[in-house]
Amino acid sequence: MATIQLKQVEKKFGDAYAVKPLDMTIADGEFIVLLGPSGCGKTTTLRMISGLETVTGGQILLNDKNVTWLHPSARDIAFVFQFYALYPHINVHDNIAFPLQAQGEKKELIDERIKQVVELLRIQHLLNKRPGGLSGGDKQRVALARALVRRPAAFLMDEPLGALDADLRETMRAEIRQLQLRLNATTVYVTHDQIEAMAMGDRIVVMNTAVVQQVGTPTEVYYNPANLFVAKFIGSPGMNLVQGQFADGVVQLPGENRYPLPDGWKNAMTRGENVVVGFRPESAHVNPEGKLHGEVYATDMHGSYNMLHVNMAGDNVVHLRADRATRYPIGANIRFDIDPPMARFFNPQNEMALRRQ
Amino acid sequence: MATATVESSVTKSRVQPQSAQRQLSDRAIMNLFIWPTLLLLIAFNFFPLFYSLYLSFTNYRATATTAPVWLGIENYANILTSPDLWQAFTTSGKYVLFSVALQTIIGFALAMLVRGKFRGSGLITTLILIPMMLSPVVVGLFWKLMYNPNFGYFNYLIGMGQEGSLDMIASRMFNQPVPNLALAAVILVDVWMWSPFVMLLVLSGLNAIPDYLYEAAAIDRASSWFQFWHITLPQVKPLLLIAVLFRTIEALKSFDLVMGMTGGGPGNQTELVAVYLYRVAFLGQFRSGYASALAYIILIIVIAISNLYIRNLNRAKGA
Amino acid sequence: MASFAESGPRRPVVESIRVDKVSPGARATGAVRALIVLLVALIMLIPIYVMFATAFKTRIDVTASPPKIFFQPTLEGLVLLFTDRALAAPARVQELQQLEAQGKLNLFEQLALASGQEITGPSPYVGRIVNSLIIAGASTFLSVLLGVLAGYAFSRFNLPGKDDLLFFILSTRMLPAVVVTIPLFLMFRQVGLYDNHIGMILLYTVFNLSFSVWLMKGFFDEIPREYEEAALVDGYSRLQTFFKIVLPQSVSGIAATTVFCLIFAWNEYAFALMMTAEKARTAPPSIPSMIGRGGVEWAAIAAGSLGFLIPVVIITFALRKYLLRGVTFGAIRQ
Repeated sequence: MATIQLKQVEKKFGDAYAVKPLDMTIADGEFIVLLGPSGCGKTTTLRMISGLETVTGGQILLNDKNVTWLHPSARDIAFVFQFYALYPHINVHDNIAFPLQAQGEKKELIDERIKQVVELLRIQHLLNKRPGGLSGGDKQRVALARALVRRPAAFLMDEPLGALDADLRETMRAEIRQLQLRLNATTVYVTHDQIEAMAMGDRIVVMNTAVVQQVGTPTEVYYNPANLFVAKFIGSPGMNLVQGQFADGVVQLPGENRYPLPDGWKNAMTRGENVVVGFRPESAHVNPEGKLHGEVYATDMHGSYNMLHVNMAGDNVVHLRADRATRYPIGANIRFDIDPPMARFFNPQNEMALRRQ
Repeated sequence: MATATVESSVTKSRVQPQSAQRQLSDRAIMNLFIWPTLLLLIAFNFFPLFYSLYLSFTNYRATATTAPVWLGIENYANILTSPDLWQAFTTSGKYVLFSVALQTIIGFALAMLVRGKFRGSGLITTLILIPMMLSPVVVGLFWKLMYNPNFGYFNYLIGMGQEGSLDMIASRMFNQPVPNLALAAVILVDVWMWSPFVMLLVLSGLNAIPDYLYEAAAIDRASSWFQFWHITLPQVKPLLLIAVLFRTIEALKSFDLVMGMTGGGPGNQTELVAVYLYRVAFLGQFRSGYASALAYIILIIVIAISNLYIRNLNRAKGA
Repeated sequence: MASFAESGPRRPVVESIRVDKVSPGARATGAVRALIVLLVALIMLIPIYVMFATAFKTRIDVTASPPKIFFQPTLEGLVLLFTDRALAAPARVQELQQLEAQGKLNLFEQLALASGQEITGPSPYVGRIVNSLIIAGASTFLSVLLGVLAGYAFSRFNLPGKDDLLFFILSTRMLPAVVVTIPLFLMFRQVGLYDNHIGMILLYTVFNLSFSVWLMKGFFDEIPREYEEAALVDGYSRLQTFFKIVLPQSVSGIAATTVFCLIFAWNEYAFALMMTAEKARTAPPSIPSMIGRGGVEWAAIAAGSLGFLIPVVIITFALRKYLLRGVTFGAIRQ
């Protein structure tokens, strides 16, 4: 298939950056997810790779060939649009045949390819229908079929599941991932949904305000977020972040909470320094002997567990995952601990993660 | 619950008093609003049509003092066998065919040209649209000046000197009569006037094509030519069809322009059905019965095409 | 020189645009296209320029061959259009010559001297313009008024056979004028409405009615019903909501409809030709009839046409947002 390389690729609209200079290498067969809130530049990046958007600077390489200024049609990439972009005036068969007909392929070849692709996506029964009458999921399958039928070097997908409802998204997520693995297709996938990104990506590129925040596997971005933005954005709810002050091996947290640093962190910060303590809800445990404490502010029952909202003082609310069987009355004072290896620390000034030393 | 009731009755009592006594029902208002319009349309369209249907079976002349005599279908028989009428229909047919075809092609081409935005494109588009807003009879008149063989701009612009001057309206070219040059001259003016109309409709159709279709096509490696035939044309087809039908109806009715330019002449070279009808009904002859029968024949043709138009309009709106 | 595909455009692209649209080829095509459009627009405007120029040419300049592009503008055409003239008596001519020697001639006197004709009063054209104004103005008022009412009713109420009624209303506009005119002519003659202002006003009102109903219905359709429903719930009557809520929101629609109706009535020719003779005759049929009178006064005709042209050009610009709607009876919107 293909490798994609971005070298110092940037995009400006007027004076404002939509994407600040960005470097990225996508390996053959890799599934890369561009993740970020709306307006972070992820879709612009995808469109620059496709040629639907010009770059302001930098180079895009496809299989080591510079395609930065090539016509979209000369790049051998397929694009799956958020709102499907099916041709409304022709039926599903002709929609799927369109990229082949546009290349003047022979009818036998077209029929053969369509047959394969509709079997793969199980949409044989839709061939004679117009796109307008299809459900969202079927439209997206047809759009995928149109992309697949060409056998392009790479797939670019712009929030392909964004317009579907929750159930269908989960099904389609699995379908797309399965297809991608089967075809070993290099794929760049844009989404604002971190669950989708975690579930599908080989690697995730987290973007915010036109800047790449972190590139890493789902596990990396989840457990070792590079900065406060990634920590907050990944996970639902995101990482608990509480600001305190470091002194004598202890972080002073709001509400007279004193958190002794786990091993390996003491040299990462200096005395008197402000520091943000971060931990995932599932890394905290209610424990009557726990070092930290707070007041139960709300509890959400999630079936297999209880999510506690605990106010440590002054509206510093953290989320803890707790046993589903125990009841925690609102207003009760509880104590809890953080799994020592799971605690993370950030510098509140530059928002970057501190590294264990 | 109780408080809510009290509140709403308070607000009601504040607004109601003036209207409470004579608040009209929706039905009454609807009738009040619609009937004046319907009555006027019936009085000025429906009733006259029935009247002329009756007249079309008589020998009535508007100049006569005698009562109309019932003729049965004689008028219709005479008309349908009259070479004059077939001549007029042939002329109208040519006129409609050529002017609508040219308008469609030129209007479409213009729309494709002004579609891409560039500096001043809005202003230029509006300038191009001016001709269709003008009074056709006045347009006819100043084109007559344009066509003047001795001092008109037309000969000058197409590079004919004084000696080679081309008298389009009298259909003389180098002093040789050229048949139908006058009709061509009128068609040219109609095309000048109404190509912008086709342009306007096609342009709105083009602007309604979502960008993502072209993006998808670019990704699908379709050439511009392929995109034109497989996306642009099918997408504007409904509006193009409406433009063509509308222009066909209008061209069939065409009267003002020809009257301003040629009055149907020279001879009967530019005598369209509406002009022919006018001549029979008013000029000198005042053959009202005969003209009414003729009017009915034209009416049926126009209604048939109008029906097509409206049906397509509904389809385009539904799409 | 490095090719575009390798090095990209010379200046960085800081707008949202597809790669293939910034290639030198695409840029050149765009420029050529703009140039062609400009040329086409200029060619299309030639006849309008010709008319404009002719209106300010002298009798000699009008018939000059090859046509004069640059000329000394004069108001002769306007004077000819709006005045009746008679041959000036020899004594008067002498008097004028004396005045000319002293350099005391005004425009009218100059013209009188040049043509040997003295102005005797306003031409019938003045009355025709007045007729046009009265008839177009009154009929526009009426058709917009009725159109607003009926358009609202068709937009908001469900009445049986609504689509058929609307079709009937539209179809009246599709009829060729000549077809309806024969019986109308006979009827009008019977009841004394022939060549009568009221007759013409009624006729033009009906002529524009289908247009104004369809257009206004379209405008009302675009105003969300929720506003009215909220007002009705608040205790307003249907009429009050119509006047206080719907009408204020449709002012621009009413203005557009009014102007279109005005143009149609102002430009109308066929009815005026057949239904009027002298008293109520409007301007359009009288302009071509000027050709009949002796030598063709092209400048006067052009001046008359210009009077028709200028308002229409101004209105075209003012209404460009609504043009599409207007020419398709409100059926298609932008």
